[in-house]
Amino acid sequence: MAVNIVDLGVVPYADAVKKQKEFFEKRIEDRIEDTVLLLEHPPVVTLGKSASRNNIRDYSFFASRGIEIVNTDRGGGITYHAPGQLIVYPVIKLDPPMRDVSAFIDLLEEMTAGALQDIGVSAGRRQGRRGVWVSEKKIAFIGIKLRRWVTFHGIAVNINNDIFPFEMIDPCGEADIKVTSARVLKGDELDMGEVKKVFSKHFSNSFKKGLVDVIEIA
Amino acid sequence: MRLPEVSSRGGGAVITEWYASLNENIKKGQDLVEVSSDKATFDIASPCDGVLVGILKERGDNVLAGVTIAEIRE
Repeated sequence: MAVNIVDLGVVPYADAVKKQKEFFEKRIEDRIEDTVLLLEHPPVVTLGKSASRNNIRDYSFFASRGIEIVNTDRGGGITYHAPGQLIVYPVIKLDPPMRDVSAFIDLLEEMTAGALQDIGVSAGRRQGRRGVWVSEKKIAFIGIKLRRWVTFHGIAVNINNDIFPFEMIDPCGEADIKVTSARVLKGDELDMGEVKKVFSKHFSNSFKKGLVDVIEIA
Repeated sequence: MRLPEVSSRGGGAVITEWYASLNENIKKGQDLVEVSSDKATFDIASPCDGVLVGILKERGDNVLAGVTIAEIRE
């Protein structure tokens, strides 16, 4: 069974949610196959269901730059998105034995760590901590929603984005989290097109769905 | 209506939102409640047509799988 990979480019957060919901509803009704959306967001702060506005350290930093702070229906806490951060939104119907939220998140983390390793970043998972890490620093952030065992939202991976704005929040609601990016670690900007190809391959392998059809959308 | 098993890790889930109100007529498959567990939110649908006559767990409650969270009169 194929997984369709759809590259949406840079999409404002609200528009991306709307687009994602279209795929999500179609997948619930079996009108499309499993689909993975790859995209980037213009700068935005998002709050998951377990986030608190107290996790924002400096409102003025975001307000002065016109950066929106948006409540979302995903799980998890607060995070920051910006161009250069790869967003992976899998719209996947989980069949048994994958009908297990924790197992699905484990797999997302493994896929992300594997893809990052392929681009030369020694990322991995940490016992008892969600997300993907490089040593003590977090490089990828997870928050998902499920309905009828179809997944919505996903994972955000710092590739080329400026990570300074993370200093203005407590990422995931934890004040002690330090953040990094592939660009910081490698000392140079990465080709996002190549990064997306690597993630597409790993996602396909992780879910053992076989051939990946890559559909480019302008 | 009992909380289904959404994660093999146990620990239950937190009620994050009731979509339906007490004494509301509901349909089978209608989303009634959202729970949160392990970086995920999960919408739980009504198993039958009926009237929601009891909301036994409130927003913010941590509930283990198998615990009754709502009563529906068919």
